Amino acid sequence: MSDSLLEFRKVSVDYAGRGGTVSAVTDVSLTLIEGETFGLVGESGCGKTTLSMALMGLLPDIASVRGRILFNGSDLTTMTESQLRELRGDRISMVFQDPATSLDPTFGIGSQVADTIRAHGDVSRKQAKDRALGLLAEVGIPAAAERYADPPHRLSGGMRQRVVLAAAIANNPALLLADEPTTALDVTIQAQILDLLADLQRRHGTTILLIAHDLGVVAQICDRVGVMYAGQLVEVAPVAELFARPRHPYTRALFDALPSGSHQAGALRVIAGQVPDLAHAPTGCRFKDRCPSRLAECDETPPLAMSDSGASIACWLDPATRAAGGLGPLAIAGESNG
Amino acid sequence: MTTIERASTARPQWRTRFGGREGLIGWTILAVLILIAILAPVLAPHSSEAIDSTRIFAKPDLSHPFGSDDLGRDVFSRVLYAYRASLSIAIGSVLLAMIVGVPIGVFAGYVGGWADLVLMRAVDLLLAFPALLLAISLIAILGPGNAVALLAIAIIYVPIIARVVRSSVLVVRGQPYVLGARTRGASHWAIVRGHVLPNSAGPVLVQASVLMAFAIVIEAALSFLGLGSQPPTPELGLMLAEGNNYLTTAPWVEIFPGLAIAVTVLAFNLIGDGLRRSFDPHGVTR
Repeated sequence: MSDSLLEFRKVSVDYAGRGGTVSAVTDVSLTLIEGETFGLVGESGCGKTTLSMALMGLLPDIASVRGRILFNGSDLTTMTESQLRELRGDRISMVFQDPATSLDPTFGIGSQVADTIRAHGDVSRKQAKDRALGLLAEVGIPAAAERYADPPHRLSGGMRQRVVLAAAIANNPALLLADEPTTALDVTIQAQILDLLADLQRRHGTTILLIAHDLGVVAQICDRVGVMYAGQLVEVAPVAELFARPRHPYTRALFDALPSGSHQAGALRVIAGQVPDLAHAPTGCRFKDRCPSRLAECDETPPLAMSDSGASIACWLDPATRAAGGLGPLAIAGESNG
Repeated sequence: MTTIERASTARPQWRTRFGGREGLIGWTILAVLILIAILAPVLAPHSSEAIDSTRIFAKPDLSHPFGSDDLGRDVFSRVLYAYRASLSIAIGSVLLAMIVGVPIGVFAGYVGGWADLVLMRAVDLLLAFPALLLAISLIAILGPGNAVALLAIAIIYVPIIARVVRSSVLVVRGQPYVLGARTRGASHWAIVRGHVLPNSAGPVLVQASVLMAFAIVIEAALSFLGLGSQPPTPELGLMLAEGNNYLTTAPWVEIFPGLAIAVTVLAFNLIGDGLRRSFDPHGVTR
């Protein structure tokens, strides 16, 4: 088995607000293997971005993190700010959703790539510029030398995201965190950026944690996928397995809700009910109130357990989960409806 | 849209930097005025302080284009010299206020929380005083003079500058590119220097140019009250105060220093307008 690069061990993030504590992420355990592209999907507010910010150590002061986040074996949650700063942009880097605002409007695009290089190494201005030019060319900016001094607003959205990617890979990071990198782009540009990500991954062997809410994006470049719901990780599976046999009721509901060509024109299928209010999160499985096959056990939190197929599911319907939770096999699937 | 328009017209870089035609006119006037102030001894046809009993209230003529005042002094020469005091107080007071106010605003805005609360309450306290009252009480303590007037105006301006800086820093701090810079490993200091200051400079520079124009007026008011420059030093506000007594008999003693103030204020305002345009990166107001 390959080496693990990043490991979340029972990570929880709470936000202390005036209306009480909001548990944005609850007991997430997840391991990323070196060189893989891992997709994290889930709807807005399910904790994907909070998890990534916890990883970067950039959560706001009101947030508190429990559990351990191990990067190459060292715990990121106990590192000092200056230790984290050395990692950020060097070993771990990040790409954001909106390329329109993730570059400083006052400076040329090239110098922003060069700044990242200079922040992490004793490099002269000239050397940094040369390397930045190389990176811009690598991510597909045409006539990089002429565009080097252009401010971001002279570039299209897709070009800007390429620049952001150039800055992100500038120091050849081990881990690239991409937080919905294609959401703000139109579909053709989206495909180009995904191709570029996959290409950079192949060439540099970078491990990518891709956060998305679009299953299509995940299918295109990910090796494994994690599905989050209301702050909990409910399913982790190889991408082919997930698309062929989604196990968790939430994952299945997500696939059912995908509009497809075979549907007749009419209402889109939706998941009944609403995401629970995380300030008053229900105990046990958080999907239970919307779940079509709720059991009595669902008031207990189901553990995420690996089954034979290589997929891990946190649901009491799953035999592996039941075994891990110390329960006997389910007599008749879906017998009780809460 | 903007990109195409900007690329095709190929506006010269220097002209955009100075804020288009208006800004350019403003900077030109200011440059001329500063030159006048520096070169006053060379340019002035007569002494600024020499009293001539034969020319009391003499009308403007070719050798004395602005006429003479109640002591027969040449108004033109006095106006040229007066720019020295007026401009140095206007520019100096704003620079001093920025040296103090910008760090306060950046710190309060970027750090936020308690630091922001404490600093801004202190600033509000200062802001609550009527400007002229503050200046007058300071002069009452330290005595009148150009340096004291400069200090007094600077103190009036510190809270204004700090507030403007803080509000633009608050906006910039929340921008994704600041978070982006942090994910690329930039320290807080590097972010303040490299992203926060450059991106929040626009509003405060515009404000500074307007405040310089105001400083001329405040300074003139202080001198008018006898609290700024002391006679016989030529100073625009002071000359206005003196000329006031002879407005009906010898209007030139009043009018020319007044025009000199107006031209200066106009220059600063034009610069302010130009700066506002050039700091708008997307050229919306262009």
